[in-house]
Amino acid sequence: MADAMIEFRDVTKRYGALVANDHLSLTIRRGELMTLLGPSGCGKTTALRCLTGMNRPDEGRIFLDGADVTDLPTHQRELGMVFQNFALFPHMTVADNVGFPLMIRSRPKDERATMVLEALRLVRLEGYAGHFPRQLSGGQQQRVGLARALVYRPKVLLLDEPLSNLDAKLREEMRFEIKEVVTRLGITAMYVTHDQAEALALSDRVAIMNRGRLQQLGTPEEIYESPNSRFVAEFIGLSNFLDGRVDAVRGDAMTVAASGLAIQTRALPGVTPGQKVLLFLRPNEIELLPAGTEPDANTFPAKVEKTTYLGDTMDYRLSIGNAADLRVQTDARHRYGAGEAVRVRLPRVRSWVVEGT
Amino acid sequence: MNLVRAYMAGLRHGWFVLGYTLCVCLTLLITAPFLMIALRSVGKGWFGRLWLPPQLTWDWYRWAIEVGNIPEVMKNTLIIGAIAVIVSTVIGIFAGWAFGRRQMPGKELVMAVILLPRMIPPITYALGVAKIFYALELVDTHFGVALAHVSVCAPYAILVLSATFEGLDDRVLEAASVCGANTIKRFFYVVLPLIMPGILASMIFSFTHSYNEFTLTLLTYGPNTVTLPVRTYLAVGDGYWEITSAMAVIMVVPSLVILAMIQRRAKPEKLVGGFKGV
Amino acid sequence: MRELWRKRSVHGITFFLLLPALLCFFGLFFYPMLLTVILSFRPEGHEVGWTLENYTRFLSDPDGRWVILLTFILSLASTALSIVLSVPLALTLREKVRGHQLYRLMILVPLVIPGLIGALGLLLFWGSRGWFNLFLLQFVPGMASPLRINYTIQGLIYFYVWLYFPYTCITTMSALESLDPAIEEAGAVAGANRWQVLRYVVLPLITPGILAGSVLTFMAAFGAFSVPLIAGGDYRPLAVEIYKQISIPIPARWSAASAIAMVMGVLQVVFLTVYMRLVRRAGGNARGAR
Repeated sequence: MADAMIEFRDVTKRYGALVANDHLSLTIRRGELMTLLGPSGCGKTTALRCLTGMNRPDEGRIFLDGADVTDLPTHQRELGMVFQNFALFPHMTVADNVGFPLMIRSRPKDERATMVLEALRLVRLEGYAGHFPRQLSGGQQQRVGLARALVYRPKVLLLDEPLSNLDAKLREEMRFEIKEVVTRLGITAMYVTHDQAEALALSDRVAIMNRGRLQQLGTPEEIYESPNSRFVAEFIGLSNFLDGRVDAVRGDAMTVAASGLAIQTRALPGVTPGQKVLLFLRPNEIELLPAGTEPDANTFPAKVEKTTYLGDTMDYRLSIGNAADLRVQTDARHRYGAGEAVRVRLPRVRSWVVEGT
Repeated sequence: MNLVRAYMAGLRHGWFVLGYTLCVCLTLLITAPFLMIALRSVGKGWFGRLWLPPQLTWDWYRWAIEVGNIPEVMKNTLIIGAIAVIVSTVIGIFAGWAFGRRQMPGKELVMAVILLPRMIPPITYALGVAKIFYALELVDTHFGVALAHVSVCAPYAILVLSATFEGLDDRVLEAASVCGANTIKRFFYVVLPLIMPGILASMIFSFTHSYNEFTLTLLTYGPNTVTLPVRTYLAVGDGYWEITSAMAVIMVVPSLVILAMIQRRAKPEKLVGGFKGV
Repeated sequence: MRELWRKRSVHGITFFLLLPALLCFFGLFFYPMLLTVILSFRPEGHEVGWTLENYTRFLSDPDGRWVILLTFILSLASTALSIVLSVPLALTLREKVRGHQLYRLMILVPLVIPGLIGALGLLLFWGSRGWFNLFLLQFVPGMASPLRINYTIQGLIYFYVWLYFPYTCITTMSALESLDPAIEEAGAVAGANRWQVLRYVVLPLITPGILAGSVLTFMAAFGAFSVPLIAGGDYRPLAVEIYKQISIPIPARWSAASAIAMVMGVLQVVFLTVYMRLVRRAGGNARGAR
């Protein structure tokens, strides 16, 4: 795989009884920005630290640009890294911080000065070369961190939850800047975060991890539109789940009986009537129609139990079928009140076979 | 390339071993003097170039007790210590109460002033203390020497008890009142048990400092108030290392025992007030 | 009106509580210090009169100047050696080697024992029949006679280091502990090997802590009394010289002793002020290391 810049091959890391990374295999292509996404404890930070060399994997190998670096010490791996708490050297000026990787590599002084200036220009901090980190704001400090990571043009950029220590508004700005810089330089990047909005906005591909294992790998669209498991569906965006049983299969369509309703959906390969399935619907894909609407395919009567006004959207809790709940989000133009009878249309229903049936 | 990597790993390993050796040497160097004192105190005929004394004996201890007057000296030390502890603790309780529970303008300044004696080498103000004591005829009295010790012990007592009183939560006292306790009952059932650990700690601190106190004692003692540290010093002057070692052991063992007991409870680093001038 | 009375009585009670402590402070420290100052200006043996002769006699006498020089030599040398010893020790103990709890405890030992006992044990250990010389004679080829360490200046410096290095070591260790590990990681990722991280990142950031700890060591060494009294031999640093003035001559020379004590106090304050300014300058840029 000449295209692969970073490769985890069957990497396993244990801490006592806890398996932080469980036979993790992952490839990041040249020039792509991949995000490792998952809840705390899923192993994404452990994987990052295996890549930097701070952790030694118990099993498996790690490759950088085709070379096996598993036994290579951190300082020889030619990486650039941005840290969650910035990790700037407090006793050095911004210029010395950014120039540190160059100073270590014994680059001549004037070359250093040029490259440092270039890096600072990249993050729009040219005027701050003589400042000390404590004189800068959080966002500025993180930009210095970015400049320091990129100053000698490494092949790989690593970002460890770089925006977690910034406030919400700043986060959005920085998100954009990071993506811009990475794209402009054409550098390969691995991003670690637990924030799904960041992951979807920034990444070329997303790797969702849970309990040390890779759950799903795909583009943001693939992850959002076609989650491969309940965990991924729940982790990204909002979700509704219904337990059902396959009633009938006709070609590439099947009918599922769930909560007393007959729901039509795309047939799962190899599914047979009687199998248990889990249905999954996104709240913002469900249509709300007034009670008197003509019954149609996949429309069902429902009752509004609770409403929440969110400004640009309305959040409804509905009861449907036999004691099932649905959460629906629509725009706030047409509002329904609590207790009102409505009809719902379910245009997109995804499903998975439940294990063991 | 592999060879270089192996060399670097070996080098790092080498420095690691060096650091470990440093720690081991340190431990040896710190324990060795004590071991030598202990062995000297029980060694007989230990002349010439021998690692260990050829014979063991209790003679030196016997000499220290019978001829060296150790029981009398110990008695002096304990009496002076007791007086110093009581006075220091009383001072500490009052001052600690003031610092910990009452409003005070310029609290930090007053605290710094009270702790000043511990920042200055005792010999400087010991001169003045000695002069005053001579004038007041307090030299060579148990009370006098104990008073001199108080100047050393009281700052620590105040430090400890301020923290104790500060830690006395008002809300607990409120709860006791709400439960129906009057002031006296509240004091005996709630306040006293809560401050007792602090009082005990301060007493132990003060006693340890008084027990080990040398400089001020040297300038205010007399034939009736020879304490252990002074007696040990005089023995050094006599030149009999064996006797001196025996007295040193008698002096040090209780301190180490107390240290061992405390170490199980509190973090040893807290004991170090940071000032020393002995 | 009642408010004022209340306030005054509140402060009154506080004052009453502080009274014992203040009495102790004034009676056992402040007044004696005042006396020492006054005595230093009195002619020897007299109760009245003012003179500078105590100071001039001490400072113009080459022996007196040697005492001052000796004290500084001993204090500075032992402080420097303490730093040299403490830094590798602290760095090693950071790695949590096997038994590091024991080593930490060992470091505290010299602090809790009286200087007297430490000096005694050290005299025995480094003496001509002590284990150190026995070790040298037995294992170092070519040594015919024992090394003379006791009652020499070098020996006294070793004793000082043994007794007072823990102040420096403990502060260094806590400075190391308060370092954010992410900063060292950042150094490593940027390409610095362990030594470069140590040299460019760790050491500059803990230097203020090291210096602050060394101040304590210096203060203890400068004011050392019981140790040089027992183990100094012919060498008499300031504190011992003060004592000798009132213990050897008859009648005791209180004024001379007081003058020397004043000189000692002033020197200590001056040196500390200069040192603290240096420390503050070194620590200026490293602020915010968390």
